[in-house]
Amino acid sequence: MAALEIDNVRKVFGGKTEVLKGINISIENGEFLILVGPSGCGKSTLMNSIAGLESITDGQIRIGGEDVSGRSPKDRDIAMVFQSYALYPSMNVRDNIAFGLEMRKVPKEDRLNEVNRVAKMLQIEHLLDRKPSQLSGGQRQRVAMGRALARKPKIYLFDEPLSNLDAKLRVEMRTEIKKLHQNLGTTIVYVTHDQIEAMTLADRIAVMKDGIVQQFGTPQEIYDEPANIFVAGFMGSPAMNFIPAPIQKEQGQLVAKVTTAGGQTYSLPLGKRGENLEKYEGRKVILGVRPERISEVNITEVEREDVVVVKTKTEIVEPTGPDTLIHITLNGVEVGCRVAPDSAVKAGEDMEFMVDLSKAVFFDSETEARI
Amino acid sequence: MVNHHMAQRTWGFWINRGIIHALLISAALFYLLPLVVMLLTSFKTMDDIRAGNLISFPAEFVIEPWIKAWSSACTGVKCEGVGSYFFNSVQIVVPAVLISTALGAINGYVLTKWRFRGSELFFGLLLFGCFIPFQVVLLPMAQTLGWLGIANTTTGLVLVHVAYGVAFTTLFFRNFYVNIPSELVKAAQLDGAGFFKIFWRILLPISGPIIVVTIIWQTTQIWNDFLFGVVYGSGETQPITVALNNLVNTSTGVKEYNVHMAAAIIAGLPTLLVYVLAGKYFVRGLTAGSVKG
Repeated sequence: MAALEIDNVRKVFGGKTEVLKGINISIENGEFLILVGPSGCGKSTLMNSIAGLESITDGQIRIGGEDVSGRSPKDRDIAMVFQSYALYPSMNVRDNIAFGLEMRKVPKEDRLNEVNRVAKMLQIEHLLDRKPSQLSGGQRQRVAMGRALARKPKIYLFDEPLSNLDAKLRVEMRTEIKKLHQNLGTTIVYVTHDQIEAMTLADRIAVMKDGIVQQFGTPQEIYDEPANIFVAGFMGSPAMNFIPAPIQKEQGQLVAKVTTAGGQTYSLPLGKRGENLEKYEGRKVILGVRPERISEVNITEVEREDVVVVKTKTEIVEPTGPDTLIHITLNGVEVGCRVAPDSAVKAGEDMEFMVDLSKAVFFDSETEARI
Repeated sequence: MVNHHMAQRTWGFWINRGIIHALLISAALFYLLPLVVMLLTSFKTMDDIRAGNLISFPAEFVIEPWIKAWSSACTGVKCEGVGSYFFNSVQIVVPAVLISTALGAINGYVLTKWRFRGSELFFGLLLFGCFIPFQVVLLPMAQTLGWLGIANTTTGLVLVHVAYGVAFTTLFFRNFYVNIPSELVKAAQLDGAGFFKIFWRILLPISGPIIVVTIIWQTTQIWNDFLFGVVYGSGETQPITVALNNLVNTSTGVKEYNVHMAAAIIAGLPTLLVYVLAGKYFVRGLTAGSVKG
């Protein structure tokens, strides 16, 4: 049975501004759903609607098969972790965790047992008597999660829970949340604007923009088969390269033509990835290639049919440690390439790159939709 | 060379300090002078007052003016001192302060955490209440109290002060609560707490500073009120400010400055006391929110 179904949900503010324009999402029990998108895309509104903190204008939200659209937040059996943690300042950690149980009239002894169980799981036993103001950011984060866990709700909502932590702690807590999800098998809806969090944590991702779900799928689907230029550009860092390229037929096979800054023109064979491109022959499309698919020449792969070697001048060289990002120009646009640090040359020198088209995607240059 | 330089800086430092302290001390003395004169005069005999100058110490230290002011000085036709009026004021101030503070807290809570359509307009109109002069409401309020059948009663005065004070108390609490993250309320809602539970368990325990500010403000305002007291209170229910006025303006006999001074200090003591006891919270509360906690 679906744990959460969002059925054609619309939200209009003040009779004018449409923030959610017909959202359809459905996840199974135990799945980790991530709502991701730039600020103002409606992801937080959608989360508040699931929580019942905001009403919806149209459509239905079902939790465990039951329509909860008209119910108040406390009757939806959900718990939420807020970006600011929202720990009650006047209560110590123990009371913070137990507050939800107390409001639900759980007997005192059971409350204490539950607090201890959760505290042990999150390793915050030694903090139980402290006030939130005496905790560090990471500890507050744990307490906020503890408060959600203590109630054992049907669904957990996380509203950008890691965005107030420093970079190192964020990665640690990310792993922690993933571990927690694996161990407990809970259903989680998680809002973030960080595409790496989305990729690492999610079973399913809903990429949102302008109140519309642009794509709903597994992380790999969204990474490899983005539905449009927005999704392709939003997911992945460094971002996918978008190269406007004319499609031509050479020796019975479709190719995309690219010209380097030095004026050298290459034909990139589309192969299987170009199956739907027959009708675009003679027209320009947008070729999408991720930076890691343009690398230094590798002897074992260079023989493949969907690989072409391009030689051009390097413009900017950015070492990141594990690999080096090099900027080149193809068809007049800047293109990022990811190469092994050892094979990188100095900026301004010529270098041979291997363009791997096995994961290339093509977009209509007018509609920006995937072809 | 170095020593010489150090010495110079030290001298400059002490001269600066000296000037600053001299200025501060003289300013403090200047403001304390009226109080000192009042205190000294209230312990003098009438002969002493006629003979000496204003800031001389009492030739003979007497407590009688205080006793007379409290229990037997004439305020108009009656000669029972200001003591009973002091308790009139207490009976007005305590309920009026508590009720207006409680209402202001609830109002501030609703106006920030449970906004409704038009709540900003509502707040704007309420704010007008802070700027309405006392004189404007005198007649309509008298009419209203008459209709309610509580004219010339302590209840009536309490109602007037509550109605007039709610604008201020709401402003205080609203500005305090607006800086408290709304996510706290959302979290409590999800935890299953209702409107009053959230107020009682989450917001009120962190409202200490603003409660102190409001109580000091309201106590001072209501205790010091003269106009409402003289218009809506009569005889038995008049507050001490009115009694003090009557005492000083009683035209028969000699003007007993020592008794007047003692009565004035009695009338002003509670507000002084409130400020001395809770003044540091007042300053802290007023600046709370301007610095991020």
